[in-house]
Amino acid sequence: MTRPVTRAFAILLCLTAAAPALAHTGDVVGGFVGGLAHPVLGPDHVAAMVAVGLWGAFLGSPAIILLPIVFPLVMALGGALGILGVPVPGTEIGIAISAVLLGLVVVLAVKPPLWIAAVLVGVFAIFHGHAHGAELPPGADALAYSLGFVVATGLLHLAGIAIGLLARWPAGRIAVRTAGALVALSGLFFLARLA
Amino acid sequence: MIRRAAAVALGLAMTATPALAHPAPLGIGGFFGGLLHPLFVPAHVLAVLALGLLIGRQAAWTGLVAITFILGLTAGLGVMTLGVVPLLMNEAVLAFALIAGLLVAHARSMPEAVGCVLAVLAGFCIALDSPPEAVTLSEANRMLLGTGIGAALLLIAVAAVAARLTRGWPRIAARVLGSWIAASAILVLALRLVR
Repeated sequence: MTRPVTRAFAILLCLTAAAPALAHTGDVVGGFVGGLAHPVLGPDHVAAMVAVGLWGAFLGSPAIILLPIVFPLVMALGGALGILGVPVPGTEIGIAISAVLLGLVVVLAVKPPLWIAAVLVGVFAIFHGHAHGAELPPGADALAYSLGFVVATGLLHLAGIAIGLLARWPAGRIAVRTAGALVALSGLFFLARLA
Repeated sequence: MIRRAAAVALGLAMTATPALAHPAPLGIGGFFGGLLHPLFVPAHVLAVLALGLLIGRQAAWTGLVAITFILGLTAGLGVMTLGVVPLLMNEAVLAFALIAGLLVAHARSMPEAVGCVLAVLAGFCIALDSPPEAVTLSEANRMLLGTGIGAALLLIAVAAVAARLTRGWPRIAARVLGSWIAASAILVLALRLVR
């Protein structure tokens, strides 16, 4: 890969994220920034998204590639259900449990077959997506908001993967498993708050 | 040199921030307004980006898919000159962005005919979703010509860059980008369905 092309691709990625920010409404809440902020401002979402990345890094290839690709797609399907008003029972509990379980699989370094990991993450993605879809502010510019929302989720996964890559070293493995424990504890806290 | 120019053109193209939907971009009318038009409609950017990534990532494909895209564009612009403005074209463009995004995320070899069908339909719908805002007929025609050339150049530039993403993280990033495009399109289509 030549350097100019690499640079161009990096620019493309950054600018793709930035370009439609002010589409149609110019409304910060409803537009790209609103979508970008939505997952980041929900600590339960942040914990689960980061845990997906951590687990992906822990599982190695091909999970490290597959999970961040599958999650946004299934989450969008969940979001579509939320937007269409199709009820998904126990959404908030599902989100809290996702943090607990995803944190635990990282703590315990669980390495199931890839399809089991994908199904587990996919089920949780439905809950997260449904919550996001149902909470979409009225009047939001749909495309800009959705892009922001998907990009923020992807960046949280990347953050988790970046931390998870520390698992290559013995001390890093401890750090990653500690991060998993923190995610699981936060999930328990969210569960307790719902009770 | 051509690739570098394409990469730079793409980078510059993606810096276009406000999506003003259909009015002449930045108040520029005529041919140059049309040339910029595809960059100012987020759904068009998503569709062309996904299609370009798809073309670039299919090593066995020839230039036929890009040619069919141009043919579709030309046919659509021809229909547009007859004063036909069909409904739901923006949604159709999003649907093609969704399909192309999924195929990019899936990252499997497929027959070129699939790409040709997708490209000709996407090109046709993008053209029909680009009604020129012009006072005179000659200016409208110049805008339409610019729109066709702009969309074709954007597709070729994206495909040229995507063709270089053959290994390592850029290859994965291309798949993730496809997944994000598809996820955004799913959410927006769901929103359009209820609003």
